[in-house]
Amino acid sequence: MERKISYPLYLTAFLLSVAVFAIGVYIGTLLDNANLAGLSERVESLSQRSTSVQLLLLAEGDSSAFCPVFRSELSEIDADIERIGYELSYLEEKKQAYDPELKKQYFLLEAGSYMLSKRVSEVCGDDTILLLYFYSNEDCESCQEQGVDILAFRDELAADGRTMRIYSFDGDLGSPVAEALVEHHGIDTYPSVVVNDVRHSGYADSDALSGLVANAG
Amino acid sequence: MEDPVMLLNYAIAFFSLFTVIFFLLLFLRHKDEYNVPPKRTGWRPTVSIVIPAYNESEYIRESLQTVVNLDYPKDKLEIIVVDDGSIDNTFDIAKSFGNKGVKVLRKENGGKGAALNYGIEKATGELVATMDADSYLTPGTLLDLLPLFDEEKVAAVTPAVKIRPSGSIIKEVQRVEYLMILFSRKLLSYIDCVPVTPGPFSIFRRKVLLELGGFDEKNLVEDQEIALRMQANHYKIRSSMTADVYTEPPKSFGEFMTQRVRWQRGGLRNYWKYRFLIKPEYGDFGMFFVPLNYLTIMAFFLLLGLLIYHTVSMPSYVQYIFIEALGMSVGMFTIIGAFVVMVTMFWLYVTVRSFDNEKVKLRYVGLFMILYWYFMVCYNVLTLWKELTRAKAHW
Repeated sequence: MERKISYPLYLTAFLLSVAVFAIGVYIGTLLDNANLAGLSERVESLSQRSTSVQLLLLAEGDSSAFCPVFRSELSEIDADIERIGYELSYLEEKKQAYDPELKKQYFLLEAGSYMLSKRVSEVCGDDTILLLYFYSNEDCESCQEQGVDILAFRDELAADGRTMRIYSFDGDLGSPVAEALVEHHGIDTYPSVVVNDVRHSGYADSDALSGLVANAG
Repeated sequence: MEDPVMLLNYAIAFFSLFTVIFFLLLFLRHKDEYNVPPKRTGWRPTVSIVIPAYNESEYIRESLQTVVNLDYPKDKLEIIVVDDGSIDNTFDIAKSFGNKGVKVLRKENGGKGAALNYGIEKATGELVATMDADSYLTPGTLLDLLPLFDEEKVAAVTPAVKIRPSGSIIKEVQRVEYLMILFSRKLLSYIDCVPVTPGPFSIFRRKVLLELGGFDEKNLVEDQEIALRMQANHYKIRSSMTADVYTEPPKSFGEFMTQRVRWQRGGLRNYWKYRFLIKPEYGDFGMFFVPLNYLTIMAFFLLLGLLIYHTVSMPSYVQYIFIEALGMSVGMFTIIGAFVVMVTMFWLYVTVRSFDNEKVKLRYVGLFMILYWYFMVCYNVLTLWKELTRAKAHW
C-alpha cells in the first residue's frame, strides 16, 4: 500500500521554524549588544568619576585633606568596576557576547583605579590590600578556581574587618595596560597574584594568599 | 565544552519549535472539522465487547451498567467479561448481569493481554471492542464510533477517552493531560499516525485482530503494541473527539508514577521493537512519528542534562549580580522558549475549548502547566533507571 508523506506540511513547518529561529537569534543579538552598550556607557561614566578623583589628588596643597572623599569615591568606583567585571564575564561565558575593545577599556579603567587606590593609600595612610589577579581565558584550567578562591579570601578578610580590592586582568587579551602590568610584575604564568607588589606565580590557595598578604603588609 | 553545549541548546530549541509549529499547522488545516462528530450511518454490524477484569469489584458494576445501556440493537451486541482470576467478588458482580446478556468467562490469572485474547477467541462479532472494567461508556459511544470505519483498511477506531471531574488535584491534572492527548491524537489521525488503541475502549475489526495474532500477552503496553503492529501492516486507525468514554485514572501520585513508568518502559521497548518502521514506505508514521518519539525522549534527557549543567556550571560571582544576570539571560533562547510556551498555551486553550461538555477549571490548567514538567522528570528518570538496571517490569 502506498502511504503518504506530507512533504508540504513538513517543509512549511521547517521554513516557519527557521524564520522564528532567525527572529530569536536576531532579537537575542540585539539584546546582547544592548547589554554590552549599557556596560560601555557605565565604563565611560566610571572613567570620568575616576578622573575627578585624580584631579583632586593633583590639587595644590595638602591633598590628604580630601581623604574622606577619596575613600568614599574609590570604594564606590571599585564596587562598580567589580560588578561590571562580573557582568562582562557573564556575557562572555554564558552568552558568548564579547567586545574586546570594551574589555580593553575596562582593563584601562581597572588599572587606573588600581593606581589611584595605591596613591590614595600612600597619601591617606590606608591599609587597604590591593590584589592584582592575572588570568588567561586560554589554557588556564585553574584560573576559574583561583577567581572563586580570591573572592572567598576577600570575604574572610572582610569578616576580620580588613578591606581588600581585587583588580583582575586577562593577560592574553592584548590590552596594552594589562600587558604593561604583566611586564612590570614579571608575570610569566597564569594564574598569578600580586599583593602590594609581592608576586605569587601559579595557583594560590587560601594559605598562599594569607602568606602574600602577611608578607606584603 | 561550551560549543557542544551551545549546539545542543540550538538543536533542542529548533526541535521544540518545529514540533509545536508542525502541530499548529496540522490544527489550522483541520480546524473546521476536527471536533465535528461524523454523521451516523445505518451500518449495524455485530459487535462483541470484551472486558478483561482483575479485582475490579469497585468499578465493574457501573462499568457494565453503561455497557448494557448502550444505544445499540441488543441482538447485534455481545458482552463478554473475562474474569482474569480475580480474588475479590468481580466474578459475582459480573455474573449478576447475566440476565442482561453479559457472558462471564473465568480463567487463571495471566495478565490483561492474555485475558483479551481469551475473550476475542470466544467473541463472534464482526467488530470486537476491548474495554477496561474501570471505564464507562455513554449510550451513544458505539454509534458515534462506527462511522469512522469508513474504509476497509481502517482496522481500529479509538474514542475520546476522558476523566470525569473529581476535584482531586492529581486526577484533575491528568484530566487536562487526557484532553491534550486526545486532541493531539485526533490531529495525528489526519496523517495516519495514531500510535495507540487505548485500553479503556477501542474497537477493532475482528478478522484483522485474528490475522495479526491478537494482543502481545507479554507486553507492558499491549494497547500500544497492537496499534504499532497495525501500522506496520499498513492498517489505518481512526480517532474520535466526540464519542466519549470515561476512565478511572490513578488516584495517588504513587499509582500515577507506577502507571507512567510502565507506559514509558513499554513504550521504549515497543518503539525499539518497531524501529524498522522508519522507512518511506510507512509514510508519515515511519518518517515523522516514530523518529519524533525517539527525538522527544532524547530531547527530554538532553534538556534535563543541560538544565543541570547550566545550574552546576553557574559561576560563583553570579551571586553578586543575580538580578543583572537574570536580565542579561534574556536572549535568543528566551524568545524561542516564549514562543514555544505561547503556542503550548494556545494549544491548551484550544484543547479545553474543544469539548463543549468538559468544563475544566483554569486553576487545573495552570497546575498542569506547572506540575507536568516535574512529573515527567520523575517518571522519565525512574524509567531510565529501571531500564538501565534491568529492574523487573510489572504490568
